[in-house]
Amino acid sequence: MAEAFLTAQELHKSFNEHKAVDGVSFTIYKGEIFGLLGPNGAGKTTTIRMLSTVLEPDSGDVTIGGYSVRRDANAVRSLIGFWPQELALYEELSAFDNLVFFGRMVGLDGKEARAQAAARLELLGLAQRAKGRVDKFSGGMKRRVNLAVSLMGHPELLFMDEPTVGIDPQSRNNIYDTIEGLRDKGMTILYTTHYMEEANRLCDRVAIMDGGRIIAMDTPRELRSQIGPPDQVTLEDVFLRLTGRSLRD
Amino acid sequence: MQNEIMKSLSHIWFIMLKDLKLFSRDRMALVFFILFPLMFVVLFNFLLADVSSEDERLELHVATQEADGGLSHQIIGALETKDDSELEPGDPEIIWDRDYAEARQAVEDGELDGFLAFPEDFTERVVRGDETELEVVADAGATYTRAALYGLGRSIATRIGSTQVATRATVELMIGQGLLDPWDQAAIDEIIEQVAEAIAAAEPFVEFEAQQVGDVEPENAANFVIPGYLVMFVFFAAALGAEAIIRERQNHTLERLLASSVRRESILGGVFAGTAAKGLIQIAIFWAVGILAFNIDLGLSPAAVIILSILMVIMSSAFAIMLAALVRTQRSAGSLAVLVSLVLAPLGGCWWPLFITPTWMQFLAKFTPHGWANTGFNKLMVFGAEFGDVVPEMLALVGFAVVFAIIGIWRFRTSAA
Repeated sequence: MAEAFLTAQELHKSFNEHKAVDGVSFTIYKGEIFGLLGPNGAGKTTTIRMLSTVLEPDSGDVTIGGYSVRRDANAVRSLIGFWPQELALYEELSAFDNLVFFGRMVGLDGKEARAQAAARLELLGLAQRAKGRVDKFSGGMKRRVNLAVSLMGHPELLFMDEPTVGIDPQSRNNIYDTIEGLRDKGMTILYTTHYMEEANRLCDRVAIMDGGRIIAMDTPRELRSQIGPPDQVTLEDVFLRLTGRSLRD
Repeated sequence: MQNEIMKSLSHIWFIMLKDLKLFSRDRMALVFFILFPLMFVVLFNFLLADVSSEDERLELHVATQEADGGLSHQIIGALETKDDSELEPGDPEIIWDRDYAEARQAVEDGELDGFLAFPEDFTERVVRGDETELEVVADAGATYTRAALYGLGRSIATRIGSTQVATRATVELMIGQGLLDPWDQAAIDEIIEQVAEAIAAAEPFVEFEAQQVGDVEPENAANFVIPGYLVMFVFFAAALGAEAIIRERQNHTLERLLASSVRRESILGGVFAGTAAKGLIQIAIFWAVGILAFNIDLGLSPAAVIILSILMVIMSSAFAIMLAALVRTQRSAGSLAVLVSLVLAPLGGCWWPLFITPTWMQFLAKFTPHGWANTGFNKLMVFGAEFGDVVPEMLALVGFAVVFAIIGIWRFRTSAA
């Protein structure tokens, strides 16, 4: 039996009268890529912000590596890496400076921060542009720097919130390869996306959210098999069947 | 616990360094923080220096209606300024107007504020011991000139009176000892004239003494222009630093920092330290330029000037933290920073010295940190105060800083990333 690394129990979060997350519970096992899918406003980003300690739940709790996000937030933070949906970089600084700065923020000493920064940039094909200012980079390169920052400090669990939105196929494939490489090295990943083929390719299990709740959770193949022969239906068919075809804001 | 503190201090330090690095790469910010304020200082210092360097020495004009050879000619000759380069600060320049009628016409035409005139029979009356009158001819609006001429007239009258007493006493003494015939008027007149001349030769008729209070030259406009603009621009630049925190929020780096085990207090501390470091660079440049280019005098206690400057930076940085915690967007932070700075600067005496403003403005200034800072600088650099004299101003700035910081930290802790 795989070891549970993250357990979310009955998470609730409201903003004014709006229930953004309404009783979400799930488990992520060590070394798996867990996909969190859902239409706009389903509650994915709010959930990921609570899991990553940025937002405090109204009720419920999350344990990561045995630590509670409510009681041991700092211990949790030392285990996680966070790749926010948007670019979270100082664009006036170089890629290398960004990595070293965030490395220092996760507690690395100067030498280790510089060594890891160089290694991450090499991994993501950015070594040649390490000293270039981020605001001069293409969208795809910025995304890769964003991922490289998330990997500083060797996190055991990486939160990735829609990491491939709006980037070219080359950068997207580079990111896929990197994520698969990280999984092969034993990293646990929580991945949110709107792209169903992406989830199908990368995720070991997926949960589909709508209206702040999880409405389905299984492996992509099992989910596909619920509506037809798994080789003939896509995850997108499952998604649309479960969440409907009406437009979302 | 100790580890946590060291970790927080380390975070504060690296966030501050990062902010300084971002600042050094932003050319517009460098222009705004340093060049723009210096341009203002140079411009206004030259404007005010022109005004303050005008020769404001008081000119006192004196004329006489007596013919040549009269005693009034001797008095005016003794008083007249021969070489104005030898005058001490504050000494009036005494100018002898040779033609009474012309001087009078000049007053009537508004070309001259006024003059003191000796009457036609001045010597005759003085010698006889009779009363005589000195005439002050002055424009109705020339209050200060008239007062000065009255003062000069009274000094002369007192001196003449003393001379008369001395000559009479001499004459009576000589008559009493049989050295002078009481009926020989010509001999008596000669004795009176000799005694009067001897007294006049012994010391000047009228002396003006100017005393300087403190060691600070008040004439240098830079002594209040530079502190005023320093206070304004340090606060302005720091207030605009509020945008840095909001930019962290809008660029999602705040979210990333919070997820990287950086405490909210450390983030605030780092941004505060970065803003304060920029402020310290600003004041170092301001004072260096002030001393080297404008010859400003830091007064009797340069240490007090430096501490007051540092407190001004701390207070301004605390204000930036509060502003950042109260508003949500960069645009509103920028607008509020400009608005608050432009309202507080004139109220607090940044654009003109508070000590020349009406009492009600000086009262209003007490509600602004600028007012306290400027009052402190003016006390130290214009009025020659010492360290202890500006402790209230220092405490007031600390008070403002504490209030701003408490509000900022409280709001930031309770606000979401």
